[in-house]
Amino acid sequence: MDQDLTTSSAAPPVDLPAGRRTSRVAGLGQYAGFIPALILYGVFFLVPLGLIVAYSFWTVVDYNVVHDWTLDNYHYFFSVPTYVRTMWATLWVSFAATAITLLIAFPFAYWLVRYVRRSLQGFFLILVVLPFWTSYLLRVYSWINILGEKGAINRFLLWTGVIDKPASFFLYDRPAVILVLVYLYFPFAALTLYASLERFDWNQFKAAMDLGAPPRTAITRIMIPQMKAGIVTAVIFVFIPILGEYLAPQLVGGARGVMIGNLIVNFFSGAQYTRGAAAALLIAVLIVILLVIFRKSLDVKDPYRA
Amino acid sequence: MSVTEGRLSRADLLKVGGAGALALSLGARPALGALSRSEATTLNMLTWSDHYANDQLAAVAKATGLRGRPTLFSDNADAYLKIKQTGSQFDVVSADGLWVPKYVKDGLTEPFDLSELPASKQLYSIARQFPFWKSGSNYMAYPFSWSTVQIYYNPKYVKTKPTSWHAILDKKYAGKISLENIPTDMMAIAGRATGAKNPYAMTTAEISRAKEYLKGLKPNVLKLASQNNEVVRALADESAWIGITNLGTDDRVKDAGGPTVKAAYPKEGTVGFIDSESIVKASKHKDVWEKFINTMEQAPWIAKNFLTNGRPLFNERAYKLLVNQGHGDRARRLLYNKPQLALKMTIKGPAGDQQAYTDAFNEVFGA
Repeated sequence: MDQDLTTSSAAPPVDLPAGRRTSRVAGLGQYAGFIPALILYGVFFLVPLGLIVAYSFWTVVDYNVVHDWTLDNYHYFFSVPTYVRTMWATLWVSFAATAITLLIAFPFAYWLVRYVRRSLQGFFLILVVLPFWTSYLLRVYSWINILGEKGAINRFLLWTGVIDKPASFFLYDRPAVILVLVYLYFPFAALTLYASLERFDWNQFKAAMDLGAPPRTAITRIMIPQMKAGIVTAVIFVFIPILGEYLAPQLVGGARGVMIGNLIVNFFSGAQYTRGAAAALLIAVLIVILLVIFRKSLDVKDPYRA
Repeated sequence: MSVTEGRLSRADLLKVGGAGALALSLGARPALGALSRSEATTLNMLTWSDHYANDQLAAVAKATGLRGRPTLFSDNADAYLKIKQTGSQFDVVSADGLWVPKYVKDGLTEPFDLSELPASKQLYSIARQFPFWKSGSNYMAYPFSWSTVQIYYNPKYVKTKPTSWHAILDKKYAGKISLENIPTDMMAIAGRATGAKNPYAMTTAEISRAKEYLKGLKPNVLKLASQNNEVVRALADESAWIGITNLGTDDRVKDAGGPTVKAAYPKEGTVGFIDSESIVKASKHKDVWEKFINTMEQAPWIAKNFLTNGRPLFNERAYKLLVNQGHGDRARRLLYNKPQLALKMTIKGPAGDQQAYTDAFNEVFGA
């Protein structure tokens, strides 16, 4: 077919042989389905991102963004210890919340896959995603009712006589923020780990134990290495959104539970767009670095490649 | 300024709502002839949630054919930038005190003849003469409500009335103060506490002193609330003993099932808001703005607004309605009959150096 086309006298006088051109058009055609995503990605992600980058190098004078290129916003951010401390605190909270979330989600997923009848697994998965049926705000607010001085925990402890006056330390501090973040992001980790464990070949696990490996060794040396991609995906789904969290620390963190997102909101509400853009971009850069690191962990060898 | 909770019994609502509907139907009768011309006209309002009620908007739409569609904002700077960036997208914008002249100066809103609005005759005369809203023979905005920002304290825990901003720095209040997360206003309050001449236009040295004050306050701060109702909740569940917040908080705390809290006015003075409605200069519906505002601002609606939101407004006829309906005590307690006091506080406005204010606040309240 190619031969016919290339030798045809009706072929247009172009540089490329017509056959190659046709196959190139066909090749481009396979990307047609990508065009809507490209437009969406370009208009709603790349363009705003470009604006954020530009804003971060500009300044605000009397509520007007002045297009004078400067590194002042970045210099300010790194020269004030509060921001560096808040960034570290944000990383620390994100790390702690992610670790706890995974530590709770893994045994849950393990129990669900290994011990629950397949017909019942769907029911438990629905229970996991059930909180998504209510709004994020409502879910965070409900924790104020649980952790507050007149909340459920204090009432229970008072009723049991464990305490004789309400304890105030459950709410408005970093532990409250971590607890609420764990609650909010548990479904993401649980579903990801469940999907990973569901495909695990339990015969390998049994074989390891048949050969004398205690359960702990079988888990750490047989199961977890094969779940690496699932675990890394769970970390991405939990750690990265937490880095940009604003509402949970605002509502349950109090003055001691501030994260970097809260300071960025203050910049924007005070019309300091350029300062806010610089701080937001620094978080974005951190996320990109983490994604590059995580991406390496997600590399899976192609079994069919020589 | 958003004040979202208030004490209002069902009977009160029916009583005032009924009176409102009656007055509206009578007051708007002359406008009904024009209904067919302006039917389906929507006025986009950039406002606070306590500036309207849904039943009020519905009644106004029915009576005038002008449908108010509110969009909410949190802070004046936020609204200012929205109006600046969206041009004719909005028709009505609400603004506090000295933000109003800034809108006009920057060509975003335009003054009008207040006397042409019949509803303006229901206002206290002082509200028709604020010097900072005068523009020749015109007025820059329609006066709506006002409130001081003061200290509310729970006498069960706070034995000595805090009559100074410095009294709340005492270590015995560690983690027991709740306040709204509005950096500019908190800096202005810190400015008043430290003797700044103009708390919304502080010098570098004054900003530095205000920042030191906030540093001293920080250990006592339980939470920086995103909404006024969070301050109310913290006072109601007694996790906070002190709140820095608007007039009427005592009622709202009671409504939330909380304890008695009392107001204290610091001797250094305080800040507060006088808010308003303005015409957006780029609006395509300027011709019907006056009719819309005139119908929205009728005394029965304003009386109802007071009962819902619990802070003084500038409509004198509404005060008289409240007195007649047996709410005089509450209205007087919340200074409704003393609009002149609104001029004694430092009126909210844009910061002289907004960046310096936000930077200082963030540097204190970061981790």
